[in-house]
Amino acid sequence: MSEEPVTEAELQAHVDGHLLPAREPVVLAWLAAHPEEARRIAAYRAQADALRQALEGIVDEPVPAALDLRLQLQHLGRRAGLRPAAAAACAAGLLLAGGAGGWALRGKALPPQTGTAALAREAASSYAVYANDATRPVELAAAERGALDSWFSRRLARPIRAPNLQAAGLTLIGGRLVATEHGAAALYLYQDQVGRRLVVYLRPMQVERTDHMQPRRDGAIGGWTWADDGLGFGVFGTAPVDSLHGAANIVRSQLKSV
Amino acid sequence: MSVSAQMIAEVQPLIPALRRYARAMLRNRDDADDLVQDVLERALANWQGRRKAASLRSWLFAILHNLAVDRLRHRARRGIDATIESVPEARLACPPEQEHGLGQQDVLAHLAKLPNDQRAVLLLVSVEDLSYAEAAVVLDIPMGTVMSRLSRARERLRRQMRDGVRAHPTLRVVR
Repeated sequence: MSEEPVTEAELQAHVDGHLLPAREPVVLAWLAAHPEEARRIAAYRAQADALRQALEGIVDEPVPAALDLRLQLQHLGRRAGLRPAAAAACAAGLLLAGGAGGWALRGKALPPQTGTAALAREAASSYAVYANDATRPVELAAAERGALDSWFSRRLARPIRAPNLQAAGLTLIGGRLVATEHGAAALYLYQDQVGRRLVVYLRPMQVERTDHMQPRRDGAIGGWTWADDGLGFGVFGTAPVDSLHGAANIVRSQLKSV
Repeated sequence: MSVSAQMIAEVQPLIPALRRYARAMLRNRDDADDLVQDVLERALANWQGRRKAASLRSWLFAILHNLAVDRLRHRARRGIDATIESVPEARLACPPEQEHGLGQQDVLAHLAKLPNDQRAVLLLVSVEDLSYAEAAVVLDIPMGTVMSRLSRARERLRRQMRDGVRAHPTLRVVR
């Protein structure tokens, strides 16, 4: 039986499923007759599969708020009190007017409303309001830790427990529930040997359900935020950011997929 | 529906894939997302002027590809090589809870060693599932060049992976 010639381009198209259907049987017959080439083509297919698998997690990640056009549009609309269509026109206008200076939506104009950037704002505000309150910094003291943990677990609809930060020289004082635009947040308050306080702040995340740990600063209050599997975390205080990082790492390792 | 509302409706679904391509090219999450933001900015500013003949996807990927290549050249000039090994894991890839097989890390490490133009064509065709014609638009090369470059990229990656296995027998999982 005479053999029909097959081109390299056809072999590549076979790998990608872009081969003309009429040529499929010809290529398959040719590969059956050339086992060395068949192995090479099989390796290309395995390569493509491995690449897709290694990178598919990225498309499942929530789009960061800064890149989410719909979200940006909503914020713009809410701020200006516009309906979505009007806000869209407004957004385009701003962008075009911005020209090379660009990206009016880049977020400088308005504080972050979602994601771990918003969580950072909430955590820093909570620190400012509660951490050094002379009368009642916490609603439940460390002595009632069990009740505190189960209260938070109920309100955040997932098991929550106070991290043990003794290794970082921090003792639990207690905790309180904090109201946010995104629902209830849990606040644990700690204190070190010299009386400096630190808050561990947790709440469920709708946006940026998973996010890497990053430093944040809001005036004198600094800290770290991250998100694991739908739960967002903030560790904030007035201690140097490096020492806060140590505490944040302990919290992360203890509360990973609680 | 206004132009920009329509634009958002069409562009939004493509953002995850743009992020993936940017991250696979730059191997750094923050740099990649920065680049995607630049792409969105340019797309919005040039929405009226885009060529209707090309698909939206290839238009956006073309903007992104050119920015990515510029960024990589800039890095090379400044001697920055953010290799996979030197980038903290969380900045590079997927959610931390996701299990990475040895094979997946392997294939990304080998991919990183390909020349930029070969890595690009492999990602566009194999991962982003662009047609050869779309890839030709993105890379601004004739389709014949797409095919030959794709062929070279696959063969180089295959040899690297084969030789890499031989070079580091201790890295293999023995059962």
